[in-house]
Amino acid sequence: MSLPTRALTLTINGTQHGPIDVPDGMMMIDVLHEMLGLTGSRLGCGQGMCHACVVIWDRDDKHSETVPTCITGAEFFDGKRIRTIEGIAQRDHKGEVTALSPVQQAFLDQFSFQCGYCTPGFVNATTVLIELRQRWNRTSAAAPGTCATTPPSVI
Amino acid sequence: MKGRWLRKLIVWAIGIAALGGIAVGAFFSANLLRGKTGGPVQVVNAPTDVVAHGKYLAEAADCAACHTAPGGAPFAGGLAMQSGFGTIYATNITPDPDNGIGRWSADDFWRALHDGVRRDGQQLYPAMPYTSYRGMTRQDADAIYAYLMQLRPANVPNRTTELRFTFNIRLGMRGWNLLFLTDTLPAASVGHTPAWERGRYVVDVLGHCGECHTPRGFLGQMELSRPMTGSTLGRFEAPDITPDGLASRGWIQAAVREFLGSGLVEEGSAFSDMHPVVMLSTRHLTANDLSKAATYLMGDRPPPPASLPDAPVPADLAATASGRVTYVALCAGCHGLSGEGVPNTVVPMRGNTTLRLANPRNLIVSMLDGIAAQSFPYLQRMQAMPPFADKLSDAQAAELANYLRVSFGGQKPDVTPATIRALR
Repeated sequence: MSLPTRALTLTINGTQHGPIDVPDGMMMIDVLHEMLGLTGSRLGCGQGMCHACVVIWDRDDKHSETVPTCITGAEFFDGKRIRTIEGIAQRDHKGEVTALSPVQQAFLDQFSFQCGYCTPGFVNATTVLIELRQRWNRTSAAAPGTCATTPPSVI
Repeated sequence: MKGRWLRKLIVWAIGIAALGGIAVGAFFSANLLRGKTGGPVQVVNAPTDVVAHGKYLAEAADCAACHTAPGGAPFAGGLAMQSGFGTIYATNITPDPDNGIGRWSADDFWRALHDGVRRDGQQLYPAMPYTSYRGMTRQDADAIYAYLMQLRPANVPNRTTELRFTFNIRLGMRGWNLLFLTDTLPAASVGHTPAWERGRYVVDVLGHCGECHTPRGFLGQMELSRPMTGSTLGRFEAPDITPDGLASRGWIQAAVREFLGSGLVEEGSAFSDMHPVVMLSTRHLTANDLSKAATYLMGDRPPPPASLPDAPVPADLAATASGRVTYVALCAGCHGLSGEGVPNTVVPMRGNTTLRLANPRNLIVSMLDGIAAQSFPYLQRMQAMPPFADKLSDAQAAELANYLRVSFGGQKPDVTPATIRALR
């Protein structure tokens, strides 16, 4: 007997994966870890609270937001584009890291760690926050007073 | 065009009614003439047991829910209450001489609770539930007064109510009271035992449950022909809590008692406006009063609780297959693939009282808005449920709601994308 599966297509860090058969009800963090070898996202609370596991969902409307992968089933990401911590730094064609992102560098410069376990999720959340601020700045420069929108959940 | 006409007609009708009220009010203006300002600061030295009983009654009557603003000094007022007629601010009821009730006598306090009249003779609006407190005994009102008068006075000024014209004429409430103020609210259940009678007092008078759970008419009055049959307030519906309404969702007396005492039962957790009711009021009720409140709510002879079907209707389940995909993607991580939840952390879906409501409103609003993290008595705490408004299209949310209602609530898959859109 085997678990029922669903064929999912995921675009992660610009690379399309799948269709891959994912067992019914498998959480995204397990798919990342066990099926795709992307082990940088961390399982913390398992309840969507601590943000160690969050990835960046790049929405078609250009608004990115973080999604906790420990409580979000892989089905949610079917046909969607996401960035994981593995996709934050710049890499060359062999996959070697050539430059850290400004957020990663700032974490190092400020030593923004305690044990470091949650850092992948926090770097992702910070990246979304910075991108959101950049969008706000552009919006307010173009049309003053239009930035008073409700911010989407970023952290 | 027709709608505008109707609205004009209603505004005129209300205006005429208000003027009538003023005329009648002027005729019976004894209260206004008796009204007073200034006067000596009252010094109340009640025995400690009376003060303690007053504290218990003030909790049972949930004075703090409105008279304490979020983050504000206890009983110093300031909470804004939105109504269809404008915004009303709860007042300072600490014994501050100028901003609170420091110069009020026990008689003044009684008139406010019993007649809805302030010390200065002005009418209160029924946002202050004198409509329910009217049934309170003089002895209990005096005990609450004794408790409030020994609180620390808070020098916090009252905010002015912001009601639209005609409703901002307080004298108009005279007419309203003549039409709608009754000595005894109709019973929401059938009974005659002493426990039922006491429960009725705890629920209808002190707890003033009907102020939210009884539907309201177009002048804001409780529709007393349908007590406790449910009413929509803001985003959420205060559900039907008549014996039949509760039993149709599987409630029994013991569960009602447990819910009022702890806010957390198998049927679900208290949320929205009911959460502060539990935290500030009902959890402080004695075991005895809790039992009696449950006895009154379910009646002396409670109807048998409706059981959930063993399995959902196959055709309904098949129709909600796409809703299940969304459930697995967004909900199952916490609520479980089979809706089993996580003990003390996440409420189970099967049999959840919100899923068993015929009206899908509370389910949909919970899905869209989420529910903030909440503390509960006995050091219990429920984590936040995230909002999903931006992750679900109208169609997806409708399919999900239907899947939940069919699979776990024994309800029909009758939610449409239009229902969702209307609640965004």
